[in-house]
Amino acid sequence: MTQNAPRKVALVANCLLNQNAKVCEGARYPGLVSPVVEALRSRGYELLQLPCPELSFAGVRRWWAVYEQYDTPAYRSHCRRLAQAIAPLIERHLRRGDEVILIGLDGSPSSGVRFTSSKPDWGGRPNRPEDDWEIVPGRGIWIEELEAELTRRGLPSVPATGWALDMGRFDEPGSRRDLEQFLDSRGQSARPRDEDSGAQ
Amino acid sequence: MSRDARGWRIALVPDVLVNPPAHIRALLPEVLGVLESSGYGMLQLPPPGEHRLLLAVIADQLAEYSHHGYAVIAIGMRQEQGYGLHWRRLAPLLRHRGAELPRRHIVDSNVDAALEARRLAAQLAIYDLPQSEQLRWRV
Repeated sequence: MTQNAPRKVALVANCLLNQNAKVCEGARYPGLVSPVVEALRSRGYELLQLPCPELSFAGVRRWWAVYEQYDTPAYRSHCRRLAQAIAPLIERHLRRGDEVILIGLDGSPSSGVRFTSSKPDWGGRPNRPEDDWEIVPGRGIWIEELEAELTRRGLPSVPATGWALDMGRFDEPGSRRDLEQFLDSRGQSARPRDEDSGAQ
Repeated sequence: MSRDARGWRIALVPDVLVNPPAHIRALLPEVLGVLESSGYGMLQLPPPGEHRLLLAVIADQLAEYSHHGYAVIAIGMRQEQGYGLHWRRLAPLLRHRGAELPRRHIVDSNVDAALEARRLAAQLAIYDLPQSEQLRWRV
């Protein structure tokens, strides 16, 4: 491949390369989520790690939270700052015609792509012993703000999917199949870039 | 935190070692593979250039980790300017946040890649915070 040939670039949610970013009890791997890394690299994707908005906003010892709790002007402003920090790198790839995809974290209030977590009445004393949040279709706050920043720059939408780590019961083989189907469908079709980028 | 699998150790890695160009790939250790087998997470640094805001964002994350019991090491590449670590900008950002500068481990593409991989793995295996700090945070 020549230096100027189009490249394949995967924007990867921070915690898929660093499980230390997860909320307490949320880490399923010591560090890298190796099935994601293997699936991407074996198909020739370069990795571009996104910042973790929750870690730099609420810290490593933050409480669990749902979409509605993070849906505040201050958190969205924080996410926009992070988006402005990483967008120039993404823009450079898109402007030069590289194939860019996004791998988020389904079920996450911030990094969800196809699904996020919801419980409108969560708040106050953190006394929820049961996992009683709901998984609902839609983006997390961070992904919403990142996509909005790319749109502001006049860039095309980026095909996206999510690794289903935060969906309650984690199913690694199912998540792996799901990701591989998404990646292989990219290679087999010549669909417009935004066809599969909407929340499902 | 019995259900939690985090390794509490993180490597700061330049883009060139995450995504090595084809013409030097065979000369470099497979850093992500070494990190995976060593149980390290990764924070990726951008390629050479001006990345003021992104480096500030990365410094925020590094400071948060270093203040809460996580061991952070920086893996540089000898043949890159500043080892690919953006140290001249990152170091003052970390000092400003009251965070210690991570120890640096430098890999060299002029040395046998397999040897460099073993040297890196050996460094990662022994690197961690003092036990008193581990006990303080990792409950």
